Amino acid sequence: MRHKILTVDDSKTVRIIVRKAFKSYDCEVFEASNGVEGLALAAKEMPDLILLDVTMPVMDGVEMLTKLKADPNLKGIPVMMLTAEGGRDNVLKIAKIGVRDYIVKPFKEDALLEKAGRVIDLKPIADIATKAKTIFDPATVLVVEDKPAITQQIQEGLKHTPWTIIGVSTQGEAIDFCTRTPPDIVLVSLSLPDDSAFGVFRVVRANPKSKYTPLFALVVKTETIQQQQAQTVGFTSIVTKPIDMNELEGKMAKAMNLDSSPRYYGKDGDTLLMKLPENCTQSALAESAGYMKPKFAEAVDAGINRTVIDIRPLKSLHIGIIKHLFQATQMCHDLGMQLAIVAGPGIVAECKGFEDTRGWPFFESMDDAKASFGKVQQPAQLAAT
Amino acid sequence: MPVINEISEAKVHSFIDRAIGDVFKTMINADAVLKKGTEDAMSEPWPPLFGGSEYDKPHVVGTVGFMGDVNGLMYLYLDVPFAKQCTCRLLGLTEAELDAQKSEESVNDAVAELTNMSVGVFKNSLCDAGYPCKLTIPSILRGSSFRIVPTGSARRHIYHFDCLGHRVVTDILMKFGD
Repeated sequence: MRHKILTVDDSKTVRIIVRKAFKSYDCEVFEASNGVEGLALAAKEMPDLILLDVTMPVMDGVEMLTKLKADPNLKGIPVMMLTAEGGRDNVLKIAKIGVRDYIVKPFKEDALLEKAGRVIDLKPIADIATKAKTIFDPATVLVVEDKPAITQQIQEGLKHTPWTIIGVSTQGEAIDFCTRTPPDIVLVSLSLPDDSAFGVFRVVRANPKSKYTPLFALVVKTETIQQQQAQTVGFTSIVTKPIDMNELEGKMAKAMNLDSSPRYYGKDGDTLLMKLPENCTQSALAESAGYMKPKFAEAVDAGINRTVIDIRPLKSLHIGIIKHLFQATQMCHDLGMQLAIVAGPGIVAECKGFEDTRGWPFFESMDDAKASFGKVQQPAQLAAT
Repeated sequence: MPVINEISEAKVHSFIDRAIGDVFKTMINADAVLKKGTEDAMSEPWPPLFGGSEYDKPHVVGTVGFMGDVNGLMYLYLDVPFAKQCTCRLLGLTEAELDAQKSEESVNDAVAELTNMSVGVFKNSLCDAGYPCKLTIPSILRGSSFRIVPTGSARRHIYHFDCLGHRVVTDILMKFGD
């Protein structure tokens, strides 16, 4: 899971040095040049750590820190001062407002990383890259839940994945399992007796082998206090019951850093295949859209100039799907790629009803679509078949 | 409350020597060696009274002030090639990479930050010696053959450092009284 670091400093030089220091780690660095920008970015991104200068125009660091600590939503964000203001009295005054650490400039990158590492788990990118998996790779999911029906629902809902779902019902069983074989992800029910879920959390985090394992809290939607507790403790994500299995699967894949692009993109010889699932939710479209540009660029770079978009699983269209397909057709056009769309008759009929989609090059089968590439045609000139 | 007259030349000398030494060593991994202090300034004042090869070079000059029980400001003079060299070292760039971007803006910002840090260490020493004060935001002056003249009520301390074969000059002005 990428940590977010916000650097607030009026010096671009310092912001670059901070960005450079963290570039080898799994972190995303956001930059603000004064307290006003810093507060806005903190509210938007909810960073895991803020590095804050004192002397800045518009709003200085002390004022930003005071406002941050007065905001119930932001006061929990750890702040580390990174400033040339280092006299004893100044440091004490600022420390009283509430900072996690204080670095006085000049500073070494190593010192910054060492102190930041005490607040957030800094994982080198190289370690993550070697562990990169796709959604088609096996993974072990540990479900710690004392309600068998919930465990069964999760097993049923994820049975189409290559993941192994292990269900246990007590803290002791969970700890035993994690000690023997650290899972790839843990889902813990907050309804376990005696706050056992938090015990599981502590043990998993304390074990170096499972220190970075994503931990999801399962909680009834109306139990807002428990949800807040889980957030404060640092659970990776909160999943509310009743569980939306599509949403859970997406969140799990993201937390495990799984490449989900094979769900939407693939290659068949000299053709780029793009596909949309039957249940084309907004999150699925967002996921597919996130991969679109790099996948098309990768294909063009590999000498591929043909694209087939397979939307046969779709039963109906909505505006989100149309926009997404329009984006893909536009990308084919911009890259000079030949395009064919394979769809069922219902979808073709729906598209004929819209001016923008009427001219899309539809085909009934993959073979027909591929055969069409023998003819010299441009997407915009093709009529629906 | 102590008055400005209590800050001896020896203390200023020690504070600025440590400040410039720390900042250049930590941030650009280079030794800055104090060559001349105010006590020698009459033999080589800055800027030179009648010009000179160092003085005529184009310079990037950072300025940061400090306000409180002591009021003052410090100018940090770097010649342009050295300012670029410092920027490259700070940002981890080659000179070609620096030239490929908005080089002047980057150099100005880097020199401003080096000045901010140097004045920061200097004024933190003043704070810890019982003269609380705060920093102002930095500014940059660029050019050659210009002369900064303090008003009569300001005390002036000029120090020359050698760093990587270049001359670095700090010009500190501190105001007497309140």
